[in-house]
Amino acid sequence: MAEKGNDPAVIWQTMIGEMEKGFNSFANQAMTSPEFSKMMNQAGGAAAGAQKQLGELMEKYLLAMNMPSRAQFVGMAERLQSIEGQLSEIKALLQQVHHNSLAPEGGYAAKPRPPRTKQPPPEGERK
Amino acid sequence: MNAPTGLDFAAISERVQSEVQRAIQRSIKGVEYFSSSGPSLGSTPKDELHSRGTMHLYHYRPQASEVYRVPVLIVMATTNRGYILDLVPGQSFIEFLLKRGYDVYMLDWTAPKPEEKSLRMEDYVLDFIPDCVRRVQQDSGETDVSVIGYCFGGVLSLLYGSIFKDGPMKNLICFTTPIDFREMKLFANFADRRYFDVDGLIDSTGNMPPELILQSFEMLRPASRMAGQVQLWENIWNDEFVKSYRMFDRWATDTLPLAGEYFRAITKDLMWDNKLYNDTMTVGGRQAKLADIKVPILHAVAEHDHIVPYDAAKHLITKIGSEDKEEVMLKGGHVSLVAGANAIKRLWPKLDSWLGKRST
Repeated sequence: MAEKGNDPAVIWQTMIGEMEKGFNSFANQAMTSPEFSKMMNQAGGAAAGAQKQLGELMEKYLLAMNMPSRAQFVGMAERLQSIEGQLSEIKALLQQVHHNSLAPEGGYAAKPRPPRTKQPPPEGERK
Repeated sequence: MNAPTGLDFAAISERVQSEVQRAIQRSIKGVEYFSSSGPSLGSTPKDELHSRGTMHLYHYRPQASEVYRVPVLIVMATTNRGYILDLVPGQSFIEFLLKRGYDVYMLDWTAPKPEEKSLRMEDYVLDFIPDCVRRVQQDSGETDVSVIGYCFGGVLSLLYGSIFKDGPMKNLICFTTPIDFREMKLFANFADRRYFDVDGLIDSTGNMPPELILQSFEMLRPASRMAGQVQLWENIWNDEFVKSYRMFDRWATDTLPLAGEYFRAITKDLMWDNKLYNDTMTVGGRQAKLADIKVPILHAVAEHDHIVPYDAAKHLITKIGSEDKEEVMLKGGHVSLVAGANAIKRLWPKLDSWLGKRST
């Protein structure tokens, strides 16, 4: 076999690994500066601002077209979610009633489950 | 060995042959890679006990003939999916716990919908977690519940435990859980209060978009994605490497959005004011002090964690009020600590030996 030090594949992998580490470390140093935070947040803020303006414009347009806006859909979704939540509560209550009728001593064990009797193995026996 | 030139021609020829074979395999496997969907994740049998919007509570079907008395509730981080703890058979933390005789429940999250943007920290700590704990009690028939929190799931578990100090939490295990947010230096700089307009962002987007969360995670190691892709191409002939790459890559990029108000509270209370560390944290008007947690606690941290550096996590054990407390530092990174080959050898057995004797 070729020696490890001469193996082009190993040299390539080491080089990639070192480049990754070097670049990450360099970038991490650069990213701890307040200037980086300012620049990053200015760019992010501009994008969010543009998105907000576009959203407002779209809302006016939809209103003019007599169509429901996103906010109205969200409102409807909120109501649907609250109905879903209530249905889920009713379902849980029904399940509880059903379980209780099968196991009158408590809600547990509508279907057979293992007993809760396990003890930890003595020290030294763990794998 | 060829003495005059120092070159071993037989070895070089063997190497060239092996590289040619790998190149052919790369082409074949490369096509397979793009045409297949990768391993199926999170397939340990489970039942959904309850769901409400973003919140989902699962019960995993027991796999042992007898189980410990105290059930275990895993609280997953709100930014990521719970299947990192249930990758594939043989590499699943959940499966490991089930086989070791634990009765396992998981509080997992799906993407909050636009209408869930108003979910606050109090919804998570004072409603979702207590609701799930109650349901675990009902389902298991036991009063005591052990809680395992991963990353920010650990923060939520700490807040819950410090507010509900009289129980029913019996044991607490935190994986890579930050409490000193000043020490998450890069995140702290990204969220510098002088430049980061969290109100403007949340008011305009509703929920915190997952792309921004993913971007901020990737910025911690900006060259790693590209280096990972180079490594993938080099190793695409190796089925095991490809399987592992796909599992972790899929999970890492499967980031969830965060509910707007909840993210606002994380930024202001934790990132800016570091309230959990400073003992000034309140949730829904209720004080959350780490010193009020008195139950046995195990905190597992990773030696090379680039997301939650050790400095951000190290004060947890000193600040917690429990007498029975232990920190364990293991080799690995933020994810490999809990999933992957290292976790199987190191963390899982450690957790089993710690939790087993406290679960009867």
